[in-house]
Amino acid sequence: MKKTQIRLYLLMALICLLPTRAYAMHIGEGMLPAKWSISWGIICIPFIAAGFCSIKKRVTAAPKVKILLAMCGAFAFVLSALKIPSVTGSCSHPTGVGLGAILFGPTATSVLGLIVLLFQAILLAHGGITTLGANTFSMAIVGPIVSWAVFKLFQKVKAPIGLGVFFAAALGDLCTYVVTSVQLGIVYGGFGKFMAVFALTQIPLAIAEGLLTVVIFNILEKYSKTELQELEVL
Amino acid sequence: MGTDRYAYQSRLRHMDPVAKLVLTFATVTVCLFCGGITTGIVTLLVMGALTILWGGVRPRAFLKFLRIPMTFLLIGCLTIIVEGHPAETPVLFGVPVGHSIWGITPDSLYRGVCIMAKSMGVIASVYFLTLNTPMTDLTLAMRRLHVPQLMIELMDLIYRFIFVLSDTANQIRTAQDSRLGYQGFRRSINSMGTLASMVFLRAWHKGDKIFSSLESRGYTGMLLTVSDTYENGTGCYIWAAAVAMIQLSCYLAEVQFM
Repeated sequence: MKKTQIRLYLLMALICLLPTRAYAMHIGEGMLPAKWSISWGIICIPFIAAGFCSIKKRVTAAPKVKILLAMCGAFAFVLSALKIPSVTGSCSHPTGVGLGAILFGPTATSVLGLIVLLFQAILLAHGGITTLGANTFSMAIVGPIVSWAVFKLFQKVKAPIGLGVFFAAALGDLCTYVVTSVQLGIVYGGFGKFMAVFALTQIPLAIAEGLLTVVIFNILEKYSKTELQELEVL
Repeated sequence: MGTDRYAYQSRLRHMDPVAKLVLTFATVTVCLFCGGITTGIVTLLVMGALTILWGGVRPRAFLKFLRIPMTFLLIGCLTIIVEGHPAETPVLFGVPVGHSIWGITPDSLYRGVCIMAKSMGVIASVYFLTLNTPMTDLTLAMRRLHVPQLMIELMDLIYRFIFVLSDTANQIRTAQDSRLGYQGFRRSINSMGTLASMVFLRAWHKGDKIFSSLESRGYTGMLLTVSDTYENGTGCYIWAAAVAMIQLSCYLAEVQFM
């Protein structure tokens, strides 16, 4: 027993040390059974449709919005491909969930997020086509909505804007991973287990991303007030 | 970038993208619905062979891409395999924690291997599409399948802008790196923040300029391009039927003998 115990601890240590930086929050291709893949896709449809309508309205009002939104989508893709330093010393990738939601609102972010996730699945083989629905729900719908709600709440109580940005980004990140754990947990049982595995990597990452988003936001506020006002953030 | 570089060199590059889409869709669907170890492995082998022999993708490149999702898949499957059981369950490997025992049973091991095989099969099918079809062809195919116009235009534009912006980001990154911008956590966060916000600003201004240049050329809100002429995709349809048959017979054989 002693020996197997040591072996299991070694195994656990190995799991912790594995370079989980590779987009830990995406559910990989083929990881979900067919009925769940389809169900998550269907759940996403109303949100995506709402986002679509809001984009369409803004585009007909000002055709330039289409180009700018596309630029923002590309920005989100490039941002998510960068490595960010994490508190634990390892590297990770930012999700950009919080920043996107604060800058473009949750509805437009859902559509942009869907496209970015599709590109990640096709071009970089992160996430997957079959799990696109599930990933879209956690990263492009729930995360942005939480971030945006937190940001608005902090604005309403007149808290410093930096604090709002930090909590919006960090909580959006955390909610995304909780949703992912639930999605895996429903299918395979015991979502606490998935939470535990993800928590190891995601809590430091959420803090790092929160800090990063604050830095980005401060610089944007300093140098591009007009653009932010155009986006109706300030 | 990523799979795209190989897609442009593929021998199937000029094949009708809708046909390739159908082949991938059929194999993914069968693999996902049937599951099973043999189905997954056979799908992986057949689709891998099609990509390498028919599409002319180098085996090394294909293996390199197969490795990308591996880490994640292994972690996911390990989490699924290791479970808590009542104290007297026979386990292959485990530790007692309180009144229960955490470990791997033959059942959970089987389940984990099943998921692993199924995932690998689906991944190989998707790689057949992505390693043989450039993104622009995919969006054209989506247009023919009546995906909303706005969505396709956004995808085309985003695809184009990704390359512009990642060039900018890489240049800034190199410049920062050569000035010790990423030494220590604090400085890394600062440099990273500067990088991201500068890329955002550049993106915004570039968007402005692109819109002006489009407008001066008579842009009214639609970006229309002439579709390529493609080779006939009958081969793909035949393969789709054949692979689906192989997958189904593997599945039936597995059900029969297990």
